[in-house]
Amino acid sequence: MTRRSPTARLWRAIPPGLRQPLGLAAGLIALAWLVICLIGPAIAPFDPLAQDLPRFSPPGEVSFLGTDELGRDLFSRILAGARVTIGLALVLVCLSMLIGSLLGLLAGFFGRWVDEAIMRFTDLVMAFPTVILAMVTAAALGASLFNAVLAALVVSWPQYARVVRSIVLGLRGNDFVWSGRLLGFSAVRSIRVDILPGTMGPTLVLASLDIGTAALLLSGLSFLGLGARPPTPEWGSMVSAAVSHFDKWWLGVFPGLAILTVVISFNFIGDALRDALDPGVAPR
Amino acid sequence: MISTRTSGLRAAAAAGAAALLLSACGGGGEPGGTTSGGAGGQTAKSGATQIVVDTTFDIKTIDPGREYEPTGQILVKALYDTLLTFADDDTTTVVADLASYQSNDDQTEFTFTMAPGRVFSDGSPVTVDDAVFSLKRLQGLKGNPSFLLDGVSVEKVDDQTLKLTTADPSPALPAVLATPSCGIVNSKLVQENGGSTDESDAAEEFLNQTSAGSGPYVLDKLDTASEAVLVKNPNYNGPQTPVYDTVIVRNTEPATQKMNVERGDSQVALGLSGDMVESLADGVEVESVPSATVVFLLINSDPAVSELTSKPEFVKAVKAAIDYDSLIEIAGRGAAQANGLVPSVFLGALEDSEALKYDAAAAQAAAQAAGATGQKLTLSFPNDIDPTGLNLTTLAERIQSQLSAVGIEVDLAPAPFATEIDAYRDGKEQIGLWYWNPDYMDPANYLAFGPGQTVGLRAGWKQGANAAIEELVSRGYTTGDLAERKTVFEEWGKAMNADGPFVPLVQPGSNVVYQPSVTGVYYNPVWLINVAGLGQS
Repeated sequence: MTRRSPTARLWRAIPPGLRQPLGLAAGLIALAWLVICLIGPAIAPFDPLAQDLPRFSPPGEVSFLGTDELGRDLFSRILAGARVTIGLALVLVCLSMLIGSLLGLLAGFFGRWVDEAIMRFTDLVMAFPTVILAMVTAAALGASLFNAVLAALVVSWPQYARVVRSIVLGLRGNDFVWSGRLLGFSAVRSIRVDILPGTMGPTLVLASLDIGTAALLLSGLSFLGLGARPPTPEWGSMVSAAVSHFDKWWLGVFPGLAILTVVISFNFIGDALRDALDPGVAPR
Repeated sequence: MISTRTSGLRAAAAAGAAALLLSACGGGGEPGGTTSGGAGGQTAKSGATQIVVDTTFDIKTIDPGREYEPTGQILVKALYDTLLTFADDDTTTVVADLASYQSNDDQTEFTFTMAPGRVFSDGSPVTVDDAVFSLKRLQGLKGNPSFLLDGVSVEKVDDQTLKLTTADPSPALPAVLATPSCGIVNSKLVQENGGSTDESDAAEEFLNQTSAGSGPYVLDKLDTASEAVLVKNPNYNGPQTPVYDTVIVRNTEPATQKMNVERGDSQVALGLSGDMVESLADGVEVESVPSATVVFLLINSDPAVSELTSKPEFVKAVKAAIDYDSLIEIAGRGAAQANGLVPSVFLGALEDSEALKYDAAAAQAAAQAAGATGQKLTLSFPNDIDPTGLNLTTLAERIQSQLSAVGIEVDLAPAPFATEIDAYRDGKEQIGLWYWNPDYMDPANYLAFGPGQTVGLRAGWKQGANAAIEELVSRGYTTGDLAERKTVFEEWGKAMNADGPFVPLVQPGSNVVYQPSVTGVYYNPVWLINVAGLGQS
């Protein structure tokens, strides 16, 4: 057995999916966006809400990415928008994971009528087209970011419930679970000690794959006027404002690229995590 | 390797989904028409001429007794003549069309004498019976435009004459009768197809397929989602001289309208915003005038809705806080400051010198006096409708920033029109950003903003709130003499600017873009353009 250099060890620590050039680039992009979420407003050259620049100035004239219909700096708005879009996507995914996993655990562990009730309700929610149901919910609740997250939550928890339930169904018949029950473990303890750890891997993979989708769904709701309220710099609403100014290409292209890169990069990370955590996929 | 390829596919799929979602969300109506006009409105086929007009459709029906949407007005204007009308770009003087009229001194009795010899598109004569039937039908259908003739009794005097009577003086009635909804239909034909003068009328479907008027054009085809085709009425013998054999009005998304008119696929485009007009290619003409739409702020006077907005000092602060020039800049080409609630094209509109003025220091002082510091209000507006191409969200963001500069903090509350209209009509908004399109071409339209009137009540401005303005409202409704009427409306406008809970902001530009070969393009506040008046150079 040979000793590996620190660099090699670091390389090995990176999930296999991210060691591909594309994967590595996606990982770096995702990391960059997360950093921007944290320090974006500090590095923004202008106040994202200030309307004191010339209107419709093309990229490179008065600012890096140009200005919008009210003379606000597009680059500063995109930086500020990262915190809104990615931050809320993360919140949404965490909440979906929490609610979905809990229901999945209950359904899988207790079976019988509990399983029937939870899973039929899950089927009911999944029977509706995701975007339409989110739109209807957001429209009924009124336009705000909080309501948009709530609306997106309504449609995004069922997949976690189904995945977790199927894992629990597989786990609960195992000897180690039965042993615990025979030793007098309560249902809560049995779930916490024996079942929950086994569900974590696949749930995390699902969650990481879901961040891009969540960002897209929230941007889509804002695009339709059902999410962020003006003047909040949100990428979807920025693309929406650009629709009526087709010839000012920079208004829609840059926020659109921001959404695109977030979705692609987080999907790559999800793939990499799946490869790393799924024993069925051989490391490359 | 399989895994890598899957990752790539997933990423590509996600990217595709992003593009698809956003493009699906943004997709507007494509041009429905399959007919292409060619530059200058000429077609080679058999020497016939046609013109293609692109607009954004909002047609529900083209039954004159029921329609009340801008696109419907364009079509109905071409298909049906009215008793009276307005000529070309004049919006102040009513002229005779199917009839001439005389009124009594009180403006309560209007006697119409039918023009001799006029015929419908099927060759049958236009009679007094047709006029009486059409106007009674408009009233009896209880449709969207029925309110136009509320309180008007219509009766036949003899075979040449009909009389319209009102209980109160109605100097605006002649202008009302020039509205396309008051178009005269062929009563025999309409009755044969289910028409009547009450709600049992079943002629709408027939009138959406066949026109039954005496106008310069007849309906060839209507698809309310894509296009309307009008052809010249061979029996037309009225005062107009329609030039084009065929007029095609197409439903086209504004960005596509711009491309179509630039490359000659259409000859006229009606839906371009002020900003889009700024970047038009060379080789097209633009008729840019301030439209008759007035965009205004409503500040609720009802203390139950907001203690702060009900204070006169607060209203003064808002009026002085707004930099009107910067709003005009956002509204784009053709836009102008709304000097008062009555737009510039009407009798009694205010001069520029009477308009509200931006004064940040005065606004700040008034806001402090009203106790605005530390309070947050809500500015509500519809976000899915752009009056004359002006995006209300953009305007609201600019207003929010200007109010904030003088110490008035507002949260923006956009909502779909269908949702927000209820809060507006019920007078529940603290501050509202809305617009008013004239129903007919007379300033009496705008008296609805007075205390205790329709729009006044939406601002919580009840009867008895301002006796001087109420007196002017009453005089506005009843004064018949043109010069006196002008003075009354100007006084009313000044008083509203000084003490009313409304802030007239801008009249967005009306931009009609057309090929240089097209002549006779005049903006009209009610029917936008008269397609029968379009000519060829």
